[in-house]
Amino acid sequence: MILAELQGITKSYAGVPVLRGVDFAVRTGEIHALLGGNGAGKSTLMKILSGLVAPTAGQVLIGGRRLLSSQPQAAHASGLYLVPQETHLFAHRTVLENVAMGMPLPPRAYAARVAELARGLGVDLPLGARGATLEVADRQIVEILRGLLREARVLVFDEPTSALTPHEAGALFDRMRALREAGVGQVFISHKLHELRAVSDRITVLRDGMVVLSGPMARFSDESILAAMSPGLAAGAATRSVPPGGTGEALRLDGVSGEGFSDVSLALAPGEVLGLAGVVGAGRTELAETLVGLRPLAAGTVRLAGAPRPAAWSPRRAAEAGLVLLAEDRQRHGLFLEAANAVNLSSLMVHRLPLLLRPRREASRFEEYRRSLGIRCTGPWQAVGRLSGGNQQKVLLAKCLAVGPRVLILDEPTRGVDAAARQDIYGLIERLAASGTAVLLISSDFDEIVRLSHRIAVMAGGRLAGELPAGASPESIAALAFGAATAGRGVAAHV
Amino acid sequence: MILRLARRWEVALLLLLVAEILIFGLINPRFLRPASLLFGTSDFVHIGMVAVPLTLVIIAGGIDVSFASTIGLCAICFGLAHHAGAPVPLAALAALAAGAAAGLFNAAMIRATRLQPLVITLGTLYLFSGAATVLSGLIGAQGYEGIGGFPPGFTALGYATLLGLPLPLLTFLVLSALLAILLHASRLGRLMVLVGQNEDAARHAGLPVDRVQALTYVLTGLAAAVTGLMLTAYFGAARVDLGSATLLPAVTAAVLGGASIYGGSGSVVGTVLGVFLIGYLQQGLQMSGVPTQVSAALAGALLVAVVAARQVGALLRDRLPPRRLLAAGRQFGGPPAVQTESLGGGEER
Amino acid sequence: MFERLLRNRVLSLLLVAGGALAVLGLLAPGFLTAATLGSVWSSALVLLLLSLGLLPVLLTRNIDVSGGSMLGLSAAVLGLSLNAGLGLAPSIALGLLTGLGCGLLNGLLVVGLGVPSIVATLGTLGLYRGLMLIATGGRWIENLPQDLKALAARGALGISPLGLATIALAAGLALALATRRGQWVAAVGDNREAARHLGLPVRRIEALAFGWSGLCAAAAGLVYAAQIGFIPNQAGTGTELRAIAALVLGGVSLLGGSGTVAGAVVGVVFLTAVDTALVFLRVPAYWNDLIAGAVLLGVLLLDGRVRLALAARDRAARLRHGHAGRDGAR
Repeated sequence: MILAELQGITKSYAGVPVLRGVDFAVRTGEIHALLGGNGAGKSTLMKILSGLVAPTAGQVLIGGRRLLSSQPQAAHASGLYLVPQETHLFAHRTVLENVAMGMPLPPRAYAARVAELARGLGVDLPLGARGATLEVADRQIVEILRGLLREARVLVFDEPTSALTPHEAGALFDRMRALREAGVGQVFISHKLHELRAVSDRITVLRDGMVVLSGPMARFSDESILAAMSPGLAAGAATRSVPPGGTGEALRLDGVSGEGFSDVSLALAPGEVLGLAGVVGAGRTELAETLVGLRPLAAGTVRLAGAPRPAAWSPRRAAEAGLVLLAEDRQRHGLFLEAANAVNLSSLMVHRLPLLLRPRREASRFEEYRRSLGIRCTGPWQAVGRLSGGNQQKVLLAKCLAVGPRVLILDEPTRGVDAAARQDIYGLIERLAASGTAVLLISSDFDEIVRLSHRIAVMAGGRLAGELPAGASPESIAALAFGAATAGRGVAAHV
Repeated sequence: MILRLARRWEVALLLLLVAEILIFGLINPRFLRPASLLFGTSDFVHIGMVAVPLTLVIIAGGIDVSFASTIGLCAICFGLAHHAGAPVPLAALAALAAGAAAGLFNAAMIRATRLQPLVITLGTLYLFSGAATVLSGLIGAQGYEGIGGFPPGFTALGYATLLGLPLPLLTFLVLSALLAILLHASRLGRLMVLVGQNEDAARHAGLPVDRVQALTYVLTGLAAAVTGLMLTAYFGAARVDLGSATLLPAVTAAVLGGASIYGGSGSVVGTVLGVFLIGYLQQGLQMSGVPTQVSAALAGALLVAVVAARQVGALLRDRLPPRRLLAAGRQFGGPPAVQTESLGGGEER
Repeated sequence: MFERLLRNRVLSLLLVAGGALAVLGLLAPGFLTAATLGSVWSSALVLLLLSLGLLPVLLTRNIDVSGGSMLGLSAAVLGLSLNAGLGLAPSIALGLLTGLGCGLLNGLLVVGLGVPSIVATLGTLGLYRGLMLIATGGRWIENLPQDLKALAARGALGISPLGLATIALAAGLALALATRRGQWVAAVGDNREAARHLGLPVRRIEALAFGWSGLCAAAAGLVYAAQIGFIPNQAGTGTELRAIAALVLGGVSLLGGSGTVAGAVVGVVFLTAVDTALVFLRVPAYWNDLIAGAVLLGVLLLDGRVRLALAARDRAARLRHGHAGRDGAR
């Protein structure tokens, strides 16, 4: 029996379609895998299903009834709940209140049930802790608990395992199987194919806002699914064979510690791409932010081209010394969304602009990057927030390149970027390395790491878990990335 | 794109202003006399004197409500210095120093507590007016009469004309022109806009966030000092409450002029137009025999109506989500203008 | 223990206030008497009502600066109805309805039209004041009937009927905010996206908070009129700023999601006690604003530093926590 159905869903933002005529259905006692690259439209589709976003065209049917309101309450009322990818926690509320807020009874009525559900996931979560004190993985657990507590008839999990250990993920999958036995219809979004295969009955693959493959899971091989997801990737998946060109050391870390990581030692040669792999919360972003002076360095030494980093350090000094970070969160830390393309381009070097601005010079500088990076926009004075994700990312890259970096730290450079732009960015990273720029590539996409890196370092729990040569398999990276934590967090309960 | 929108908004304001002047002219032809239009400005340009630097504060992501007290504080400092025997230029310098110090104090408190600027400047609104009251109380001046006895050469400045323009109006226009260049054409102005748009991104880009914001508060303090001097000359006495009536009209003018209360956008020209719109509204209503109180209601209603209309217009025009929903709403990095994501790259190689 | 004290704003402010009052009692004998406390309470009533109204608005991460004008307008409606011969109860009802209507209009502007709340209420601040002046023709409303003034007269336990009503209101608000639905108010301001996602009626909650603010401002107008027996044009002017100051003192965050009724009460009483104490110490009246401002800023500075330190501790704890938790094999 079909519990929830999307028919002919089209969604456009300012006239640009991100979903085009998508049909999708969830049936009783079924786990339906939804797969697609970044920007394929998965999250938007699920936001439409759960009533958070209104479609431009098409209809949402839950339990055979059309969902008219674009309010989440309507979806809840008809028994649908979405566990979102981004965690939304109440900072001032306890874990229990965070989970039970919006339920028909006061939070304390659910204390026993929530504790039981948490134990079922192998997690010993202090129910009285405030939301503000939770780390990433626990936040994700809270989101999952919200979904489980609601006992919905249709439950959507949007990348629920991105911060979880394999042990926790395994416990979640057991839970999902039990829910399937109870007749709950579930949607499971992930880009980890082995996870999808472990629990799903049916699969739908989205590409560029359209369904490109759909049917029972068992009918498709991994290869056919991957090919449907990104036809270009299968061909271009060859690993790096060209060795790095330069000699000497562009960047060297010895026993570096800071907020969220400790005792990291790395070396990076000019022209080398060093992949820094790990799961969310492994301490990589914190390390990168410390290197450019956004966070304090607690211990260890950092050398840039052999010279020790001075004590007074800031992103501006780092940029002047040729060390630039491309921020992970493009919209919050990377770009000024309402400012023009040309303004964003020069935002890392404002201090080098003349006292009275020369807009024409800035415009022509932007035009150069627009051509060389293939940025699609109406011109230098268009607000960057109006570009597509891929083009925004290119503007962000251009901003970093404009200061002429010798060491470039790329933190998740292809997050929220469509497949074509992703290929462009890969090409650009290769060209940069070939021209002698040292690149520290931080990514949670292990395929991406393998595709681009000359050498691979893996971080887990704030420490360096190991190093692998070019061409290492994504599985071997994953083993290190989850590493010691495979024993499970439940064992090392929060003392 | 933003620039183009802003320009459109300023054009709308200008049309509104012209319409307003014409309507009042129809009701009362005296209103349209050049002398009346020109010299009437002396009753309200002091609002603009603080509204324009306030615009910079708002654009850089802050807010300042303490200027209303700073005006009186600086005036009292001027009066005290003069009372103590300092010549007028030196006393004026003391007032300017007090203004700059007040601005710096605001910035330092905001930096030290990391609290919202509204709260801090609310506190300094009390503190500065309290300090002014105490200072004037110390020499036994009555709050109502204030400190007087300035040389006629100084008080005449309040009514002087230069190039056929009243001096207060001229001062306002010169200040606005300077700040317009600073905001829209200089490196510093670029920093203000960027810092106001996204403080996090500004820190990531290594921009001197705190210094830029501090500068805007100091500029407001300085402008408040000039305003205090101007009003002292105009009324012939330095009083604690000289600026208390500027608070709401100045904030209203800045918002009416297009400054986003969330920071990052706004323009000096818009604020200047907003000042004239509010000033002539009050004046025109008075001349048409409408009681003063009604004009206050209309000014409030004008603010609400214009901003609401603008909000609705913006929503209808491009369905941009409200700013506070941006992070969640813009999963795809905001609505692209023409191209689809799949067309976004791929062609260049 | 010390940390818990630092985290609890109400308790720490109470301690500071208690200490200050004790010192004052020593300096100015006769300050710590029931009579003084009574006068602090009654002069705090108007501010307290406005603050109680503002609290839910701040909890939802909005702001309302039109309180003083709503106070004035609804007091004017009350006074005009009374002087037009309407009975006490219908007049009070009319006044309260006026406030409720004003508050709901604010809510409509903010929730319905998406105007930032500071801008919307700044506009209505002027609008409502102007409406009041139009209604009264710019004249003070005098000769209010005796039965209105009786509401502010000391009654049983030395507390006026309006004082009792205010206590009931504060207690009612505290209880309401603690209920399942009441917690939604703070949740909206804490994380709007999460509230929306969990299906809370975010917009309705915000609009209701503004309506409540208007209702409380009207109640403050009633107290104001009853206490002084006439309604001047500028009734309530500037009290909205004092209310915000009092709430911030009481630990209510302007960033939404955190704040309590107890905090609001303590903040208001503290602010009023400072004023009263100055009178007792025979400090010339012109020192009042300076001292009030200095106290407010001093508390903010101290509190801001404490908060920053606590936030740093939270963050450090989170990182340690994370690593201890994930490093399972140890």
